[in-house]
Amino acid sequence: MKPSAQIHRPRMLIHPGPFNPIRIQSRHAAGGRHIRLALTPGLSLFDAIVKPLAAIGIKNASTTILGGYFDSLEYCVARPDSTQQAVIAYSQPIHAGRVYMIFGNATIGKNQHGEPIVHCHAAIRAEDGSVKGGHIITHTCVVGNRPIPVLVTSLDGFELRVTFDPETNIPLLQPHEESIDE
Amino acid sequence: MSNATVVENGAMGRVAYARIAPNEDLVLGVEKLCLAEGFRHAFVRGALGSLVDACLGTLDGKCVQVKGPAVEIVSLAGEVRSNDDGTLSAALTGVVADTEGNVFGGPFVAGANPICMTFEVTLEEWLPALAKAGM
Repeated sequence: MKPSAQIHRPRMLIHPGPFNPIRIQSRHAAGGRHIRLALTPGLSLFDAIVKPLAAIGIKNASTTILGGYFDSLEYCVARPDSTQQAVIAYSQPIHAGRVYMIFGNATIGKNQHGEPIVHCHAAIRAEDGSVKGGHIITHTCVVGNRPIPVLVTSLDGFELRVTFDPETNIPLLQPHEESIDE
Repeated sequence: MSNATVVENGAMGRVAYARIAPNEDLVLGVEKLCLAEGFRHAFVRGALGSLVDACLGTLDGKCVQVKGPAVEIVSLAGEVRSNDDGTLSAALTGVVADTEGNVFGGPFVAGANPICMTFEVTLEEWLPALAKAGM
């Protein structure tokens, strides 16, 4: 793509719901616990992240996937929502085949039902050689035959939970006080 | 903290996670997060989300404009530093994907990368060791 001499003025999108005057929802922990995780070959990306972390009591974390091969991977791109319920909706999954994940970030939290959720975006080299990026469908991705290293930063003292966001009209991961049912 | 410092010793401090809302600027939003949490220096430890459009800087002061919406942030690294004049600056670099999944990379231009739906970011506070006199 040819660089432009002009910095374009940002476009301000109008979302369907009421504007929330709180623009940054943040929480902090006194310190981060770090773990090196190796994604187990043959498991789904979801299971390879969630199960070993749950076994050591980590349910909320920010992770960096440091590159590796997947036997199978699906991703989505984000396009204008044809139903107009939200500004953007994910596309149908795109099957990229056997891929190399160049770099990924994944956030671990829980969904509205209290079950684990992994939100992952990554850059990949698809089976056809093209370099692509998007939202990774972690349940259907299968880790290739070599373990993939992941740096995990545990988030302690608060939790990440999917809650409905009225402004964008979609459920989103947001930081909350820890649930007492934990 | 002087830019002339080649080796800076220090330690990691607190860890903050934030969700930044639509239409906020990516770079300025990370700086505001540091103001909210009282961080003076920080490294980005994880980030993902989407932009309305992306604006990635080039060496000659131009930019690569990636049209959305949305443009997905698929890789991001960077830091926030305190400047000698008492201000904060975030420098963020990364890879984005357009509505067809095609990727582009570069430094995010401050003020020109509005968030589309959400931006999740984890910052780790960096606590530089105090510089000794004469060093």
